[in-house]
Amino acid sequence: MSGFARVTACALWGLETELISVEVDVSSGLPGFDIVGLPDSAVREARERVRAAIRNSGFEFPLRRITVNLAPGERRKEGTGFDLAIALAILRASGQLAVDFGDLCLGELALDGAVRPLRGVLPRASRAVCAGIPAALVATENAAEAAAAGGEAIAVGTLRAAVAHLDGTVRLLPAAPPGPSAEAAWEVDLGDIVGQETPKRALEIAAAGAHNLVMVGPPGTGKTLLAQALPSILAPLEADEAMAASVVHSVAGLVDPARPLLATRPFRAPHHTASRLALVGGGTPPRPGEVSLAHTGALFLDELAQFSPQVLDTLREPMQEGRITIARAGTSATYPARFTLIAAMNPCPCGNLGDLMAPCTCLPDQVDRYNARISGPLLDRVDLRVHVPRVPYVELRDGTARERSAVVRQRVIAARARMRARGRRANAELTPPELRRHCSLGASAEVLLGRAVHDRRLSARAYHRTLRVARTIADLAGSDGVQRDHLASALLLRA
Amino acid sequence: MSVLHRSDPRYPPRLLDLAAPPEPLWWEGDVTLLSREGIAIVGTRRMTPYGDRVAREIAIACALAGVVVVSGLAQGIDSAAHAAALDARGDTVAVLGEGLAAFDPHGRRRRLAARLRDRGCLVSQYEPLFPAQGWMFAKRNATIAALARAVVVVEAPHGSGALITAAAARAVGRDVYAVPGPLGSAASAGANELIATGGARALTGPEALGLHAVPPVRDEVLERLAAGPLSIDALGASSDRIVELLMAGRITRLADGRLARR
Repeated sequence: MSGFARVTACALWGLETELISVEVDVSSGLPGFDIVGLPDSAVREARERVRAAIRNSGFEFPLRRITVNLAPGERRKEGTGFDLAIALAILRASGQLAVDFGDLCLGELALDGAVRPLRGVLPRASRAVCAGIPAALVATENAAEAAAAGGEAIAVGTLRAAVAHLDGTVRLLPAAPPGPSAEAAWEVDLGDIVGQETPKRALEIAAAGAHNLVMVGPPGTGKTLLAQALPSILAPLEADEAMAASVVHSVAGLVDPARPLLATRPFRAPHHTASRLALVGGGTPPRPGEVSLAHTGALFLDELAQFSPQVLDTLREPMQEGRITIARAGTSATYPARFTLIAAMNPCPCGNLGDLMAPCTCLPDQVDRYNARISGPLLDRVDLRVHVPRVPYVELRDGTARERSAVVRQRVIAARARMRARGRRANAELTPPELRRHCSLGASAEVLLGRAVHDRRLSARAYHRTLRVARTIADLAGSDGVQRDHLASALLLRA
Repeated sequence: MSVLHRSDPRYPPRLLDLAAPPEPLWWEGDVTLLSREGIAIVGTRRMTPYGDRVAREIAIACALAGVVVVSGLAQGIDSAAHAAALDARGDTVAVLGEGLAAFDPHGRRRRLAARLRDRGCLVSQYEPLFPAQGWMFAKRNATIAALARAVVVVEAPHGSGALITAAAARAVGRDVYAVPGPLGSAASAGANELIATGGARALTGPEALGLHAVPPVRDEVLERLAAGPLSIDALGASSDRIVELLMAGRITRLADGRLARR
């Protein structure tokens, strides 16, 4: 008896997906089991998993010559996601599964026949939906993720359950697509932070226009707390943004099985010992780093000067381009990385420079060296730089009501709506021609900016960044034109 | 780099007041500055923005009056004085505590040294390759004191090398002034004590040195910044006004984001 079967799976390289036709031929000859079509070692190991899973699910593993082809054959296939498709194709080719089917099969097999979850189910299921494949068989843990892609998602706990579903003995119902997530409860509210009016204002501007912010101040003055309040004033994720951010989290294997779609903008806070790979991504195959996990949200770098300067400099490209391409021998991946940088640092090595109560013990050269750890090109990409001073005791005791995050968030949302009307999500994305069109300055503002460029030697990039911040300040004020005062505030908040 | 012996007519006569005048002197730049009238501005390396401002103001007054600013090109007050004098197109002399070739600072002092070679004068009583050692600075300080007609101590904590310069200046009969600082400010403790014990006269302004004062600018914002730098919140002026002052170079933003007078 010989047979042939074809089952659809999906390969993943970075964010790139491609439908893979898993073809199995079972023919007479010496018993053997080969996989062709450029499998990597994880795919080749599928032979052992598939053999045991078929046997332990009560089926017979055909003692014949089995050839598996993963087509198209010219690209290397990675990972364990082909196990389920290979097993089902063997069962079909050997006649143990009676019907042909066109469903997408995504799952790793355990030796006892259980189906295990995969990374990156969301982009793979989306790909199948785009190609018109109506249903996907996935592990129970991946069901919500596959359903979020828009197609039917069948949660199969075991290989046996998958076969029973396909031949119609026990039909499984598709998983329900995940419902809208509840409004998150914020850890820190701006209203709980005493004083610090300028830093709060800068945070609001950063949230509205997606501008990069650095906070400088002595230890213990609330820089970290302020940064943690940022998520509470960020505008809600739009649907396409939520999908884009969730796809990256899916590929990184960081999806909550119950809530596969992100409900709030990501806020990533890697420790300052983070390596280049951790920050911008890497490895073989290349995985997304913190900059990509922060896509559509914020990347918070506490103790900025403690990060290795080489690591910080790798941020320059993603900050400018909004994405990062990681090239490795034979493979490369491009991940989105449009994030708002929020950083905090001490003013000097001892941390007390400028503190009225604790004298600084650093020499001027030490302070210079400390500040030189942040390279000029990186600082040039920082739009807002504020000082976070120590708050006097009398103010700390002051119990008067302060503005809550919800109020600030409404202003941010209103400003975002103005930006949306101009065709961009946030002012940080405005291109120079758009800036010229939307940032018409009054005569006196023009003079001010001209002098700023001349006297303070603003680079062309800094000039455009200042204009974008001024545009955001005007948007927050509900103003159509950029007034001199908006521009002055932007210049003042610039590094 | 050149050598200056006592027999040379360009050797500054004021140095002969010292018990052991340096012999020889190595120099780079404009050697004639050594014999001109000079005022020494010395102080701590760990200066505060207050010391920075006062050192600059005195150096600018010297530059406008054509008086040479003498100092030691250390970090802090010394560098502030040299830089302000050069910025105001004045003359300035740096007396190093190590050999001229051994002096190899980084960053802003390297740039400052290059400007001094170009438009001022660098002097050392040590052989060019002699590296800095602790005992050498006291002799250097005496040279600074002797080169000037008056010594101004701007911010010196207890035990500061600037106090050695003051003592050396008294020994050779130079006028010694100290800039009074805020009580409780460690950076001014030594200078205040110098005034209290009669070791120096309190400096009330550049007029006391026989220089014309830089006319004070009547400005509410600048006056609020006179005591020290403030954050934008604490200053409470409009952004427009602050940017105006920044552009005019009247105030500057410190590395920590606060605003200070220049």
